[in-house]
Amino acid sequence: MMTEDTPDQELTEDEKQLFGQLLCEDQNQLTDFDEARRNFLKQITLAGGGILALQMFGKETFAGSLHEPLNAELPVNLENSVNVSFKVNGIKKSLDVDSRMTLLDTLRERLQLTGSKKGCDHGQCGACTVIVDGKRVLSCLTLAASCTNKSVTTIEGLAKNGELHPMQASFLKHDGFQCGYCTPGQICSAVALMGEARNGEVSYVTPNVRIKAAPIQLSEEEIRERMSGNICRCGAYPNIVDAIKEVHSAKPVAQNWNLVDQKELTEI
Amino acid sequence: MSDLNKSIGQAINRIDGLLKVTGAATYATDYVLKNTVHAVIFKSTIAAGKIKDIETGEAEKAPGVLAVITHKNAPKLNEKGGVRGGALLQSQNIEWYGQHIGLVVAETFEQARYATRLIKVSYEKAEPKVDFEKHKKEAIAPKDNHDAIRGDVDTAFGNAEFKIEAVYETPIEHHNPMETHSTIAFWEGDKVTLYNGSQIVNGAQGAAASTLGIPSANVRIVTPFIGGGFGSKGGQWANLVLAAVAAKAVNRPVKLALTRQQMFNSVGLRQRNHQRMRLAATKDGKLTVLAHETTTHCAIDNEFVEPCGDCSKVMYEVPNSLISYRVVPMNIIIPTYTRGPGKSTGSFALESAIDELAYQLRMDPIEFRLKNEPAKDPSNGKQWSSRTTVQCLQEGAKAFGWGKRKIEPRQNQQGEYLIGYGVACGTYPARQQNSSAIVKLTRKGNDVKATIELAASDLGTGTNTIIAQTASDALGLAVNKITVKIGDSSLPPAAGSVGSVGAASFSNAVNDACEKITDELMKKSTKQFFVRPTVANLMVSENLTAFETRADAKAPADATNYSSHSFNANFAEVWVNSLTGMVKVKRFLAVTGAGKILNPKTARSQIIGGNVWGIGMALTEESILDPRWGNFVTRSLADYHVPSNLDIGTIDTIFIDEKDTIPNKLGVKGIGEVGIVGVAAAVANAIFNATGKRVRDLPITPDKLL
Amino acid sequence: MRPFKYSASTTINSAAQLLSANPNARILAGGTNILDLMKEDVERPDELVDINRLNLSVVKPITEGVNKGGISIGGLGKNAETANHPLIRQNFPLLTQAILAGASAQIRNMATNGGNLNQRTRCPYFYEVSMPCNKREPGTGCGAREGINRMHAIFGWSESCVAVHPSDMCVALAALDAVVKVQGSSGKVRSIPFAEYHRLPGEMPEKDNTLQHGEVVTSIEIPKNNFASKSYYLKVRDRASYAFALVSVAAAIEMNGSGIKQAWLALGGVAHKPWRAFEAERFLAGKAATADNFRQAAEMEMKQAKALEHNGFKIELGTRAIVLALTRAMNGGTA
Repeated sequence: MMTEDTPDQELTEDEKQLFGQLLCEDQNQLTDFDEARRNFLKQITLAGGGILALQMFGKETFAGSLHEPLNAELPVNLENSVNVSFKVNGIKKSLDVDSRMTLLDTLRERLQLTGSKKGCDHGQCGACTVIVDGKRVLSCLTLAASCTNKSVTTIEGLAKNGELHPMQASFLKHDGFQCGYCTPGQICSAVALMGEARNGEVSYVTPNVRIKAAPIQLSEEEIRERMSGNICRCGAYPNIVDAIKEVHSAKPVAQNWNLVDQKELTEI
Repeated sequence: MSDLNKSIGQAINRIDGLLKVTGAATYATDYVLKNTVHAVIFKSTIAAGKIKDIETGEAEKAPGVLAVITHKNAPKLNEKGGVRGGALLQSQNIEWYGQHIGLVVAETFEQARYATRLIKVSYEKAEPKVDFEKHKKEAIAPKDNHDAIRGDVDTAFGNAEFKIEAVYETPIEHHNPMETHSTIAFWEGDKVTLYNGSQIVNGAQGAAASTLGIPSANVRIVTPFIGGGFGSKGGQWANLVLAAVAAKAVNRPVKLALTRQQMFNSVGLRQRNHQRMRLAATKDGKLTVLAHETTTHCAIDNEFVEPCGDCSKVMYEVPNSLISYRVVPMNIIIPTYTRGPGKSTGSFALESAIDELAYQLRMDPIEFRLKNEPAKDPSNGKQWSSRTTVQCLQEGAKAFGWGKRKIEPRQNQQGEYLIGYGVACGTYPARQQNSSAIVKLTRKGNDVKATIELAASDLGTGTNTIIAQTASDALGLAVNKITVKIGDSSLPPAAGSVGSVGAASFSNAVNDACEKITDELMKKSTKQFFVRPTVANLMVSENLTAFETRADAKAPADATNYSSHSFNANFAEVWVNSLTGMVKVKRFLAVTGAGKILNPKTARSQIIGGNVWGIGMALTEESILDPRWGNFVTRSLADYHVPSNLDIGTIDTIFIDEKDTIPNKLGVKGIGEVGIVGVAAAVANAIFNATGKRVRDLPITPDKLL
Repeated sequence: MRPFKYSASTTINSAAQLLSANPNARILAGGTNILDLMKEDVERPDELVDINRLNLSVVKPITEGVNKGGISIGGLGKNAETANHPLIRQNFPLLTQAILAGASAQIRNMATNGGNLNQRTRCPYFYEVSMPCNKREPGTGCGAREGINRMHAIFGWSESCVAVHPSDMCVALAALDAVVKVQGSSGKVRSIPFAEYHRLPGEMPEKDNTLQHGEVVTSIEIPKNNFASKSYYLKVRDRASYAFALVSVAAAIEMNGSGIKQAWLALGGVAHKPWRAFEAERFLAGKAATADNFRQAAEMEMKQAKALEHNGFKIELGTRAIVLALTRAMNGGTA
């Protein structure tokens, strides 16, 4: 009953059916995996249906009209103010911060980039992971003051031109989350991990660190170890590993939900 | 109906997934409100006694500070208003270490956090009761739980040839959702809006209103996204109300997020359980005795007992049975519902003991369970609405390769690893609770869309998605034509996402509302229908641009005449390093019979999540108190070990596709809780099979296997 | 976190001067430990001197001096870059493994080599300011001595302090006989043998190491060795990853024909400093590389251990971990 990986599978039957519902377009288009995904996501975004409306519901109904957005500058005098000029998602930012302010709080409280999450504020969960100068780091243990001239990429900066980053699309497909709170950190971490694998970087579970190879193929165990700095309390780990495996290998990873009906059972 | 009408049962992606993978999903503190200021709570550093004085002067003078609120100046609140655990700054009394004793509000988070360090508190200390080992003998029968006795346990146990008597210990655990309990509060006149992760939206509204002493209508809870809860956001805790108090005090929106360290003594916990088990069986494997006696602790002045004996009540046919609870009030924060409350911890004791007895009989533990399968619910004699334990065990055994397992331990070694297989069963009750839903239809030309509204919640369970799927089928509209609005107390009242009632309650309410709106539209129409029309047809044919209705759904009247449960069987393959004692669960299989599976993708994720929790319970999670002072020494995510990615191996799930419409019309039983039940026992049983070592106190850390 | 002045330096001299001028100033390098402790109010500097712009992150061969032929790693090199540097992976895989056994990928991208040496204990009594702790506040007592001490020391502890040093990297550096180079405001460079860098607590647990205020770790020199193909870093912990060690072992063996010429062994998670297992090393010199000899060596070392109330298991676990680490080292450093 355990289904096996089917490497040539492009889309699940369930997905095709969903595409049928959502796309209202020629199903013949859905041959190339990536393209299908991108079309699919574009359509979702443009559909004006459930998801977009939900987004409106979250962002606008409650906060938007009632309360104007904050300016990047605070209306209070800061002690030990430090000016920091850096790039966030490709856009230059310059602001004065309290020397005590972390990069995480700066993103969330000053730049309205609330995608990065505070899970522990002490470097013990990974929810605040962002990419600084190409490396995944913890924004909760980074002082904003120390970020001058650096380039920060957050979850909000991964999608380009209305298209999701492949890692975002893969997390969506593989249900690599439940509550979604650790997800921005997981995805930023996974995106940077792809670069580490390309560079041939090793991990504690790499059998022989003296062997040099770049890029390296990550086993499931390697993905697990390298993603262990991102805690997911909902326990989405197996799905996270599948999502990353799919992007890393550029091959679809099968999704197994096994339903056994009563008829099948009587044959036992 | 058209082919589109088969959304239920499809593994569609979460409709809110796009928001979650782009960082656009808005959790409580993600709302950007102008002029928001920040509150930080400070806490007691003794576990019992009184505050002599709190000096706040230095903090009040610190830059940016707007207010310091303590029991000296806090407004009068209703302490019986439904907030769990007190700590509402109403008196000098201290009942546990880390009780809230005040908060600072300042312009910035940095300023507020710093000012809390300037507070000086003097105490009149009392001797705290925090050492469970020392105080467990003082435990008394709880008010709400009566001993359930059948037959004569003592005599039957005394006479039995094959029997097990053992104590199983489970430690204090913490929910630790990734989002700490956080609130933004703002007042408009006498009305307060609270952005707050709440598993029970209306519950939070009622508790906040009653505690603040204002009408429910003046409190609005907004909670479209919740960063995990696992029971800790089911009841409401003081931080929700204190945010409102602070916002009132400074007349600005206030953001209050508990720190991770504060989470350990602010929002409940899973209590420590000392479970004494006595099981006896005949030589041919018929159970004759099952006694499950739990001793635990609760708050000094407030009782809460995890129902550890629940699985023991219903899992096996046994003539002599005793289920009892004893509880000792202690200076520890009140325990609360934690994933699989009672069943997860209780099933560790029960299913370990079953495994021990099966081994004593040298009988396969699956065979032993099958021999004691009850035809009716042994606790009340009711018929099962359906029961899938046998299918779960048989299907699981086949899929897992159980046949390869040897009854004798230590038979499977590869290099330095000892490999073992374990099995354990679980169950969780299925219920539908009252929920209302509004469906609103709009039409532009031939394009008909629906909005579904109810005060449900989605803490990662997939509520948004299954509501859209249910409405899609019932209305004959594609999923992308449906907008789901939940997580707002201004919507029609609904059940909470607790106790595995959410999916059944929400989907049936939505289904009822959608059927009702179709009926109402048909009634409006003068046409004759031979086939039930879709709402789109009706809106067009009646030339309506908008139409809405509301349904108030209840469980079927005869549901309580039956015993309805989800059931599972869990299979674990562990690799134990024979030298270091480190354990890896390489392979895990959960077979679940949980009625209609609305969305296999999200359902599978839920089960996997429960399994990961169970593996954490088995191997890594433990909150340790210093018995002298009552503080948790494991007060961070570095010290409290939630499983990491590397701790988890392959997890497979199988669902038994049941059609049981007795508990509710759609036949939905719920999966959030059952996924953890039996998991820890399956792992512990596998460790026994691998090593020959029976560990009865969780978690099974390396030191216990040396 | 108390208010503090943020200063950024671009030269060692200016950094050292800023630090020397203010006894309450602290270094900001990777920040992973200092910010954590400042948020907990354990560290209360009124000035942070950001040294990240100093040019101290180079990994290079040592071409002169006693460690000629070895490799020097910069004090400000990131842990992850150090672990993955080709020279380190090839010549000191033990160090690579040890670094990668610690923390998480994100933290290793931030944390510096010097900072790893200077990180403070994770003892929960040290971290919670309402608890007694002689290391944080001398004279208040040791909360762990009679408290919950499962994670604490079995070697070299004192009545004042039973905390352990949390580093993995340092355990490997101890086994590798590294030398720490530090420089203060005088401009003079001091060389500190690794075994003397960290301290045992004695009556002064507030001092973790022999670095003086105002000094910066400029580099760490690792002498050449002949055991790159026979070394292994083993970490035993409560969680498979992202957890501090119950016990860890850095093991390396240089063979002489069929016998052991010399073994290098250091333990983590057992003392206030990385614990060099000299007893075991002495025993193994000249012996055959057998499981029996590994066990005897390990038991000999562990005889000096003194358990606290909750950590007695570390003695047996440490013994087994030494045997396993030596075995894996003999197998070419793979699990």
